[in-house]
Amino acid sequence: MSVSTPKLLPSSGKKSIHDVCHPLSCEEAALTTPSPELQNTSSSIGDKDLSLPNGTPVDTSSPASSSSLLNRLQLDDDLDGETRDLFVTVDDPKKHVSTMETYITYRVTTKTTRTEFDLPEYSVRRRYQDFDWLRNKLEDTQPTHIIPPLPEKFVVKGVVDRFSEEFVETRRKALDKFLKRIADHPVLSFNDNFNVFLSAKDLNSYKKQGMALLSKMGESVKYVTGGYKLRSRPLEFAAMGDYLDMFTQKLGTIDRIAQRIIKEQAEYLVELREYGPVYSNWASAEEELQEPLEGVSSCVANCSTALEELTEDMSEEFLPVFREYVLYIESMKNVLKKRDQVQAEYEAKLEAVAFRKEERPCAPTDVEKCQDRVECFNADLKADWDRWQNNKRQDFRLLLTGMADKNIQYYEKCLAAWESIIPLLQDKPDGKGEMPS
Amino acid sequence: MRGSEILERMADSGNEEVAVIGNTDLTAADLHNNTNNTMTEEGVPLLKKMEISVSEAEKRTGKNAVNMQEIYTVYLIETRPVDAITEGPSAAPDSLWRRYSEFELLRNYLLVTFPYIVVPPLPEKRAEFVWHKLSADNMDPDFVERRRIGLENFLLRVASHSVLSKDKIFYLFLTQDDGWKDVVYDTGFQAKADSRLKALNATFRVKNPDKRYTELKHYSDELQSVISQLLRVRAKVADRLYGVYKVHGNYGRVFSEWSAIEREMGDGLQSAGHHMDAYAASVDDILEEEEHYADQLKEYLYYAEALRAVCRKHELIQYELEMAAQDLVSKKQQREELATGTVRTFSLKGMTSKLFGQETPEQREAKLKVLEEQIVEGEELVKTSNTECDEYVRNAWIDIDRFKEQKNQDLKEALISYAVMQISMCKKGIQVWTNAKECFSKM
Repeated sequence: MSVSTPKLLPSSGKKSIHDVCHPLSCEEAALTTPSPELQNTSSSIGDKDLSLPNGTPVDTSSPASSSSLLNRLQLDDDLDGETRDLFVTVDDPKKHVSTMETYITYRVTTKTTRTEFDLPEYSVRRRYQDFDWLRNKLEDTQPTHIIPPLPEKFVVKGVVDRFSEEFVETRRKALDKFLKRIADHPVLSFNDNFNVFLSAKDLNSYKKQGMALLSKMGESVKYVTGGYKLRSRPLEFAAMGDYLDMFTQKLGTIDRIAQRIIKEQAEYLVELREYGPVYSNWASAEEELQEPLEGVSSCVANCSTALEELTEDMSEEFLPVFREYVLYIESMKNVLKKRDQVQAEYEAKLEAVAFRKEERPCAPTDVEKCQDRVECFNADLKADWDRWQNNKRQDFRLLLTGMADKNIQYYEKCLAAWESIIPLLQDKPDGKGEMPS
Repeated sequence: MRGSEILERMADSGNEEVAVIGNTDLTAADLHNNTNNTMTEEGVPLLKKMEISVSEAEKRTGKNAVNMQEIYTVYLIETRPVDAITEGPSAAPDSLWRRYSEFELLRNYLLVTFPYIVVPPLPEKRAEFVWHKLSADNMDPDFVERRRIGLENFLLRVASHSVLSKDKIFYLFLTQDDGWKDVVYDTGFQAKADSRLKALNATFRVKNPDKRYTELKHYSDELQSVISQLLRVRAKVADRLYGVYKVHGNYGRVFSEWSAIEREMGDGLQSAGHHMDAYAASVDDILEEEEHYADQLKEYLYYAEALRAVCRKHELIQYELEMAAQDLVSKKQQREELATGTVRTFSLKGMTSKLFGQETPEQREAKLKVLEEQIVEGEELVKTSNTECDEYVRNAWIDIDRFKEQKNQDLKEALISYAVMQISMCKKGIQVWTNAKECFSKM
């Protein structure tokens, strides 16, 4: 349809995204009657779509057609090759202490040439709740897309200090990654809520405004949550599910191995820290051997420091990526589930029509709409899947080469330390005068 | 064996600087020869005239003293005169089998016969300071192999010692298969050993300790404690290092499994997995090699005991001297008392004379005579004890100096070979991770 085409042409179209109707999301936005019960759930985080009561799909009046679908796909491809025009960074965490609560805000800086933004640059402060709000909004308004994950909300109190430097830094990195992933996404980056999140001086007013809308959105996702059996789930989506199951498993194993290595290294470090000083102790009892023994001692100390750096780097740079991907997979599994629901709905309608046809034939426009929705969903999901696969490949390539690099650096440091003491050990007492340098 | 490994390692590392490092045993032997040439003109040590090796170990079954079935290990000692080697390589070596217990007997004999020598120690009887992967079983092939090397090292050390190598019993140990034990027992060393042992176990305090020996005793205590601490911690370090490497092996498995569900990433992951396997496997060689370093340290742990034994024996000799001197002093005092009739100190003798009346002049004369004789004997004893003590101090100090020099040299070599091991480990690590990185970057 003519309305839906321009949203993916940021360079030409001046329309902001809320003018555009997505076949799955915006059509429901037109519906009213928010229930107070839903309003309650909307303020709590996560699991909203899953906890919603089982209900019949809302009747829709989708404008989407197969022709628009085609356009969208082509545009997606174009966008992949396009240069980036939206840069977002999260930095400068600050602690806020009030009588009610203590929390951290992060600075979100945006630089863009996009016309959807009034200014080329923004700098706002956001807290975790705001990120969470954004993610929920995206999930509701872009149900056909894979929304990048946020770092875990809940931390075990007492075990993790929420205000410790390490924790805040790890979270900052994860939030930064989250926004960057959205900013790089050809569809999600044009989401109105994202725009608001990046630019609004007072986000809270938007958040309140959105309440009513959000509850309606909530209804949009209350498809059949279980008990449906698809007649024919396309093979590729079945394969995606299988892949995700396998990948989660492998990722879990890798994560466990990485943690175990860090633990082993930490214990190795404890022993090394004890090992070096023994040589020093010995040195104090010797005369001629004093220098060589001291040399070995300081060498072991250098290696210990290198090991500590390696372990730190690993736990700071390596583990969080696994966490992110574990969460990412959760998010993808949700989207796959939603897709199945949309297809189930379509199949149910198809069946109903076939049944009715026997009595009295009628125009199956409703079914067509449903079919559109399924196709649209499939196309979005496939595009996002490919994107995700690409990102994943890149991320893991970087991550694993990084791991190799860190290990190489570690060994190089140790190598340098041991090589440097060889001349010291070879230095014969009678050859002191002959020492060249 | 050890030397060739070091050479291989150096070849691996390709470091010009390290190539200077030589064989530990050889260097030690050279050192002995040097000291020998300068100190004694008596002749060259046995090792110059004879090639000695412990070339094989074999398991045997037999009956022990109480007629119980037992399994033990025997070691093949091969000897060949150096002249025979120059004559032609075809000359077959003389060989005989010895048990560890026979080595022990030899060493005990040497300890008793040469109290002023820091007698080279035997390799450990049971595996000590082991990390979990290392078997503590005496029949374990790795343990037997390390003991074989240790026993050979012991024989080479004795054979290159200027004094010990000239001992006849030692020569017979190497060359006479039958009746060697009887010859050893015929020397009567055990009677000496028992009396020595009693004396060493008894508590005594020397009045005027030799400061040098006190310090040396203190040093041997320190050396023993610091090396045992070092060995203990090293075993723990080895344990942890093993853990770190082996856990990486799990990456090998999971990468290979993961590669099965990937398309573009698959090949890179698969081959990176192989490198992780190789990384995990490499720790076995690394730690096996490091065990040689531990053995070198252990030798000096036991050397510390030998050093202390020399100090204790010195104390004993000095104690005997002091006792003799003290006895002489008291005898002289008695004579004076008897001659002048004054009792300076309260004594039983004084009491009895008060109670039972004075002795007759004849009795007194006889007593004085006996005392005079005892004093002459005592003076003689003090004189010989003094000479013995002086001689002991002189001889022992010569060997202690030799030992110190040998120790410094050996431990330096040991530290160098340890550093070379670490260098080769680092290089292996860099190699494996560079290979893995290449695979990752192709993903």
